[in-house]
Amino acid sequence: MTDGPLIVQSDKTLLLEVDHPAAEACRRSIAPFAELERAPEHVHTYRLTPLGLWNARAAGHDAEQVVSVLLEHSRYPVPHALLVDVAETMSRYGRLQLLSHPTHGLVLHALDRPVLEEVLRSRKTAGIVGARLDDDDVVVHASERGRLKQVLLKLGWPVEDLAGYVDGEAHPIDLVQDGWALRPYQEQAVDNFFHGGSGVVVLPCGAGKTLVGAGAMARSRTTTLILVTNTVSARQWRDELLRRTSLTEDEIGEYSGARKEVRPVTIATYQVLTTKRKGVFPHLELLDARDWGLILYDEVHLLPAPVFRMTADLQARRRLGLTATLVREDGREDEVFSLIGPKRFDAPWKDIEAQGYIAPAECVEVRLTLPDGDRLAYATAEPEDKYRLAASAAGKNRVVEQLVARHPDEQVLVIGQYLDQLELLSDHLDAPLITGETTVRERERLFAAFRTGEVRRLVVSKVANFSVDLPEAAVAIQVSGSFGSRQEEAQRLGRIMRPKADGRTAHFYAVVARDTVDQEFAAHRQRFLAEQGYAYRIVDAEDLEPDRR
Amino acid sequence: MPSFTHALRVRGEDGLVALLAVRPDLAAPPPSTVRSLAARAANRTSLERALSGVDTRTVQVLESVVALSGAVPPAIPARGRTRAAPAPDPAPVRPVPVGEVRTAVGGTPVGAPDRLGTELLDAVRSALTAALLWTDPPEAAADVDATTPLLPAPGLADALGPHPAGLGPSLRTTLARRGGESLERLAEEVALPAAPAAPRASAAEPTGADDAAAATTALVARLAAHLARQDVLDGLLAQAPAGTRQVLDALAWGPPVGRSPEGAGRTSPARAAVDWALRHGLLAVSDAQHVVLPREIGLALRSGRTHRDEDAPRLDGRLVDAGTVAAESAQHAEHTVRLVAGLVELWGAEPAPALRSGGLGQRELRRAATRLETTDAVAALVVELAGATGLVVEDGEEAGSLAPSPAADDWLALPVTERWAVLADAWMRSERAAWLVGTRDERGALRPALDPESRRPWAPRLRAAVLGVLADAPGLSPSADAVHAVLRWRAPRAAPPQHAVEAVLAEAQELGVLGAGALSPAGAALLAATDDGTSLTDGAPGPAPDGAGATSDAAARPADPAEALAAQLPAAVDEVLLQGDLTGIVPGRPSETLATLLAETAQVESRGAALTVRFTESSVRRALDVGRTAEEVLAALSRHARSGVPQPLEYLVLDTARRHGLVRVGMASSYLRADDPALLAGLTEDPALRSLGLLRLAPTVLAAQATPAALLAALRARGLAPVTEGPSGQVVLGPTPGHRVRPVPGRRRRETVAVEAREARERRLHRVARDVLAGDRRERARAEDPSADDGVPSPDPVLGLDLLREAASEGREVWLEMVDPHGTPVRRRVRPVRVDAGRVRLLDAERETEMTVAVHRIATVTPV
Repeated sequence: MTDGPLIVQSDKTLLLEVDHPAAEACRRSIAPFAELERAPEHVHTYRLTPLGLWNARAAGHDAEQVVSVLLEHSRYPVPHALLVDVAETMSRYGRLQLLSHPTHGLVLHALDRPVLEEVLRSRKTAGIVGARLDDDDVVVHASERGRLKQVLLKLGWPVEDLAGYVDGEAHPIDLVQDGWALRPYQEQAVDNFFHGGSGVVVLPCGAGKTLVGAGAMARSRTTTLILVTNTVSARQWRDELLRRTSLTEDEIGEYSGARKEVRPVTIATYQVLTTKRKGVFPHLELLDARDWGLILYDEVHLLPAPVFRMTADLQARRRLGLTATLVREDGREDEVFSLIGPKRFDAPWKDIEAQGYIAPAECVEVRLTLPDGDRLAYATAEPEDKYRLAASAAGKNRVVEQLVARHPDEQVLVIGQYLDQLELLSDHLDAPLITGETTVRERERLFAAFRTGEVRRLVVSKVANFSVDLPEAAVAIQVSGSFGSRQEEAQRLGRIMRPKADGRTAHFYAVVARDTVDQEFAAHRQRFLAEQGYAYRIVDAEDLEPDRR
Repeated sequence: MPSFTHALRVRGEDGLVALLAVRPDLAAPPPSTVRSLAARAANRTSLERALSGVDTRTVQVLESVVALSGAVPPAIPARGRTRAAPAPDPAPVRPVPVGEVRTAVGGTPVGAPDRLGTELLDAVRSALTAALLWTDPPEAAADVDATTPLLPAPGLADALGPHPAGLGPSLRTTLARRGGESLERLAEEVALPAAPAAPRASAAEPTGADDAAAATTALVARLAAHLARQDVLDGLLAQAPAGTRQVLDALAWGPPVGRSPEGAGRTSPARAAVDWALRHGLLAVSDAQHVVLPREIGLALRSGRTHRDEDAPRLDGRLVDAGTVAAESAQHAEHTVRLVAGLVELWGAEPAPALRSGGLGQRELRRAATRLETTDAVAALVVELAGATGLVVEDGEEAGSLAPSPAADDWLALPVTERWAVLADAWMRSERAAWLVGTRDERGALRPALDPESRRPWAPRLRAAVLGVLADAPGLSPSADAVHAVLRWRAPRAAPPQHAVEAVLAEAQELGVLGAGALSPAGAALLAATDDGTSLTDGAPGPAPDGAGATSDAAARPADPAEALAAQLPAAVDEVLLQGDLTGIVPGRPSETLATLLAETAQVESRGAALTVRFTESSVRRALDVGRTAEEVLAALSRHARSGVPQPLEYLVLDTARRHGLVRVGMASSYLRADDPALLAGLTEDPALRSLGLLRLAPTVLAAQATPAALLAALRARGLAPVTEGPSGQVVLGPTPGHRVRPVPGRRRRETVAVEAREARERRLHRVARDVLAGDRRERARAEDPSADDGVPSPDPVLGLDLLREAASEGREVWLEMVDPHGTPVRRRVRPVRVDAGRVRLLDAERETEMTVAVHRIATVTPV
């Protein structure tokens, strides 16, 4: 056998030893079909999943290629059953095709008739497909394209969608690259996306996902609908687009709670779209307001369920999903993949960091031993109150103070879940507080002040979890969170990952009460980042004091 | 006169040894003379046994010889026959030259060095060795060529069944059933040429019964000869009504018996065709509802062939890379050993209850499967393996349970390769059919694991046969179907059930005997090691070159399966990559020490070519529980960690250790409380109470190791007045040491097949052959010396039966002394027709009667 960097386990995980000289080449060759599961410091774990293999088929790779890549890079003999399984799985893709028929419209065409029979007999396809044209063809209602694809995926016979995309209304958009340029990985992400038609691009926070979106728009040169999480983020998108592209203010519209503009490029919030009045979604018509050529989903991991449903109807339009953390606590990653499209680009955070595009970050978990009184209160508390009790332990305030004091010259964010705790901290640190109740105007003012350095400390609730661009923030202190949410942790770290002018390291602290559920949740929250290679150092709160000197 | 017995006699000692080697049943008990050996060899049971071991080609040869020689199973007179038939002539058996067999079986003449030719010659030779065929003259057997005349062994036709090669009874037999008038009508219908002038035949009127019979016989012979001619058949068919050809063709390749068309009325074309064929002797009436195609007609329709061209199936499959085979087999081998060890540990801690009828119930099996993290089927195999090796036994108690035996400790102490060898060897020799576990028996009950009923004596043979097939195609991973096809070809009369072949392949795969479906080096070594003693009985009967090939082959292989497995295992890796997310990866097979360390401190996430583990609080606690300290754990880990121990892991270990032991648990048999600390202090210090093992837990509480009763007694003796507390103060017991059970002698013995060493067996067979020949010489000396043969009847009842069988097969007469139904001894000169099921069917030529005599009424049998 070769002395390759890859070890193929029979449970379909692939272990890639990153320090191996051939690791990079190997990573490139397995990336099209294997899902990156964990990327800690020494050995990255990839997994072969049916979805990943089918996506590879969709992208034009065949089983033979996959097998030969595995054989080429594997250090030990590859389990025979796995190779057989890969070939078998991949051969299931494309037995059915979605075609655009000149007279019947969208048609499901079978290359393998028994498969079509099996699929049509399933209860799941009832009502989705229409009349049978002949032995091999069935009419599909155009509006059911997404649902059919999802159902077929669940049945294990993924369909090859050859029906293509509508071009949409053309609109000239160009990148204005004066004094900056798309980074290589951004270029590659745009290429991969456009080549595949639709899909999801996964990039770390601060790695410039907006620019990938802009690049995709410039490539598509059509009217574009951008869906974002909140109004602040919508404004940031608009500013960024004005700065980086040839678009002018008149061409960009905002469709939010405050304004309802429909322009060639329209930025809408999920919240507006999912507002429900008298059982209907009054703003869904926005989707048909124009002949959109491209739909962009920002923070696709937050896509709410109604948007899932409507996205199913948009299968004829190009769709681009952007995210840093495609982990959904509700486990609906698969739906994102099947409705928006397969993952088109993914890079381990540490790789981007190594290239200098995001700031290196040091993660520290500070363990605080609760005083006996608190421990007794905790031990006797009702289970549902335990987390709140532990997370907002009074002792944390002092720890935060000590931590803030360690970084006197840096911009510090203190992030938490519980308002009373945050108010207390805001008083303690004499820092402004931003919560969900803060007006948009006030928020923007405070963020702007923070960016300029006028305000050095900011206490924020979960409103700042996403899509708030604070380039100079270099220290984040997390005092509490929404239980064990992995992606929240990652997004919070993302707030401080914009590369700093002087290239200094960002610091992320999580203050945790020892021997409580807080500690357990923290362990769960850290899992995503730990798997991305961010090793948390654990220090005891008591050890902080001598450090100060 | 050439006879089968004579043919055996002239084989000499070596020839007889070869026969006894391939048919060991003939040597036990040793026959006394060649005559009795011959009779035994012609015995149906022995023939069946011999036939079950021969391959398809040999069966074809045998069928062909039987069919062409004209040998027929001894006629069984149809029941309810109205008139006593004259004794049919003993079937004239004609020697069949090899060349003719060759043509009949299919293919090109023998001289050509083609595959079929050599295969056929091998088949003929092995049939001769096994005395299934013989030659006339016997010396011709020494050098087989196209002209060698072959004769079927007596009884062979019977053993092959009524329709050898799918051919019906001979024309002579079918015609002889017709009456004289019918025959004459037939002669007219088929335009039989007039008989050559002969005094008897020309006589217008038969003058007596004998003459009539003779005339009929002669007519039958002439008709048979006439109809068997190809041109006659073609001529007849040319005039036959439409459909006749189809009717005959339908029966041509067998089975030759067809149901007569009925209910369709006289006018139906099928009926007409059948009637026409019957009238012209091309079909014969078999019984009221069936017609049969006579043998010669069948042969003519097949253009003289007895078999269609058929070649040994090629073993198809996927070629697997040798590295993959070795790696996968090694992984499976290790895994199975780990599972068995896991089972021993599991049942050592808590023996599994056994069913009252023996075996392990479905629920317990599933429980074991869950605990071992495997499937029910694999768990069943693991349990059966542990049972077959005696690692796990039933304790023989009233409510029986299954627990490891002391042998398990010895086994656990072995290196992994040796442990595997023990399991694999037991598997090869085990008669247990693990694949039956979970299936339902005849009564619809689920078969449990270790069920005493799930025993298949042929299982070891099947395993060797399956592995043998794979051994012939190194690196090939065939499907179960393909293996089954080859096995069916190799022993068509004893083909194993398909599901058993599948099961054996699956078991072999699980055990690492196969890797990726192909025989692994360790598997090959195992096969060679097991084969060593048994090849003489199971191997292909044949000339020396075969055996020589096998031995040189065996010598080339590593003899010891354990060593072969060791050679397959990848080099052990002694380092682990520890990572910040609390995982660790051993990039290869962990060394023994590393594996132990990780098993103690971490939990396994994924196994395979590499090992992935995760450290959790509970896994670290486990290590601390068995007495490791945090410092030891960290030191041991950093010794193996190439990249050092990451801070989070270090913190985890230290943090777990910090909390370890905050709560403590101990064992006490009783306790005592008092409100007066001084009193208790006095008790612990009292030397007289030392035996109670008093321990102060708190100023007012003592724990004692003595039972409450003893404690009470001791305290009372000391002059105190203790009282017992209610039952809420229960005894807390710690983990008890693992259960070990000695196997109950005689209850279930370890399954071993006594294997006779090759040399010892050969010596024994030579001795038997020499004795047979010596006995034969004595017998013949007696026969030549009338004084010695003076009415000395054979004293041996077995020999008596053998003599009867021999006489039956050769159509000779014997003197029989028996007791008639009135209890009077009588002596008759008779010709035995058939010997079976404890009865002998006889023809008494003098009295022209047929009779059936129970064997126990026969006193002596003497050849005429």
